Amino acid sequence: MTQVFELWIEYWPMLAAGLATTAWICALATMIGIAVGLLLACLDGARSTILRRTVRAYIEIMRGLPILILLFVLYYGGPGIGLRLNAETVGVLGLGFYGAAYFAEIFRSGFHSIPKGQIEAARMAGLSAGQIMRHVKLPQMLALITPPMVNQIIILIKESAVLSIITVAELTKNTAQFVNETYAVVGPYLAAALLYWLLVEAVALLGRTVERMVRY
Amino acid sequence: MIYDPPKPVIKIRNLVKSFGPFTALSGISLDINPSEVVCIIGPSGSGKSTLLRCTAFLEEYTSGEVEIEGRLLGYRKTPAGMVRESERNIDTARRNVGMVFQHFNLWPHMTVLDNVTLGPRLTKGVPAAEVSEKGRIALAKVGLADFTDRYPSRLSGGQQQRVAIARALAMEPHVILFDEPTSALDPQLVGEVLDVMKQLANEGITMVVVTHEMGFAAQVANRVVFMDRGQVVEQGSPDKLFNEPESPRLQEFLDTWRQRNLLFRSEPQQLVAAC
Repeated sequence: MTQVFELWIEYWPMLAAGLATTAWICALATMIGIAVGLLLACLDGARSTILRRTVRAYIEIMRGLPILILLFVLYYGGPGIGLRLNAETVGVLGLGFYGAAYFAEIFRSGFHSIPKGQIEAARMAGLSAGQIMRHVKLPQMLALITPPMVNQIIILIKESAVLSIITVAELTKNTAQFVNETYAVVGPYLAAALLYWLLVEAVALLGRTVERMVRY
Repeated sequence: MIYDPPKPVIKIRNLVKSFGPFTALSGISLDINPSEVVCIIGPSGSGKSTLLRCTAFLEEYTSGEVEIEGRLLGYRKTPAGMVRESERNIDTARRNVGMVFQHFNLWPHMTVLDNVTLGPRLTKGVPAAEVSEKGRIALAKVGLADFTDRYPSRLSGGQQQRVAIARALAMEPHVILFDEPTSALDPQLVGEVLDVMKQLANEGITMVVVTHEMGFAAQVANRVVFMDRGQVVEQGSPDKLFNEPESPRLQEFLDTWRQRNLLFRSEPQQLVAAC
């Protein structure tokens, strides 16, 4: 066991760098995912049929696609159409736009939870669509959608491990490197597991705090 | 001297509303004049609520016209026909129309005062202090001056509906539409809401009230409109409509209502006998 700890200490800089990369990529991807997801959910309620169908198609395609295939297409197929992105950018965009489809569904269920009459009352009070969103819909649905949002962010963090396949030096990739250099297996992966758990727990904690704040 | 008739606040012409193959309104024409209190009565499914909702453009009408103070609501006339207006223009056109709903539709995450002041605060460009003051005045008018900081869920149905009336008043509308305002209330709470509405009527606020409260219609309305199967069958003063109904459909409607009322007021033995 002492050997394991010694290895951990020796490879700590590599693990820490991997954890940091995983954290910032996931943070950016979450922001994109939530912003695009909210936009998609709003467009899904639009009056235009074409707009609605496009949004539905986007969500269905993204949900039907393994994230790895999306990343491969972006990373290896991108240059073919003049889209030359580095691995981290592909990671952020891939995870972000992939997650957006799921976040959109969470927002959509949130919107559906607001009784139609409340929206009508807001319209009769002269509120614009944006004001209705900001003052009537979002504050009420936040408490409801926070738990599934946190869940989705956690899934996103764990899915980010596949970025190791497209050469992003994140936690899983660096752990594999750690394994290759030391021929140890359990020790490095145990460290990775603990660090992922730490990250996920931090997000869960943040989620619980938000949940308490938004309850009315 | 030339007689200048009052310009109607609401002018409805040949209004048709279809839901797929079902025609809910088949050609309604109706004027609502300033300071008039018009009660719309009729059996369930006769199109009363649909008429009100089309008048507020919460429901898009299929054809015909709704004008609010001379301004066409929801559509724009072009050489190619009627084109739907932008949401912004619709909001402007119905700025002076208030509405009170059957199920109150208060926003549960806001205090009573916030419910009342949200609309004016966001749309009227008036200082916050003034908006608050007006909100308090509106709440005082419905007898809820002491309830400003409560949340709607802590109020009775009657109190909630009075808050909803104050919310409509705070927008200083030229006409208020009431969509069965007492139908969702326990019988003992109906009175407090009707009292507030009577008071508004006395103050000269223009009101259109879809209701099943015949007593209220008889006492307060200037005009009663009887609807059935998507049409205005008969209209006139409450006295005329309730005491000398012309159309068989209205007679039948009033007979049913009287019989039911009789049953409610009967002693148990009589009730059994009546059955």
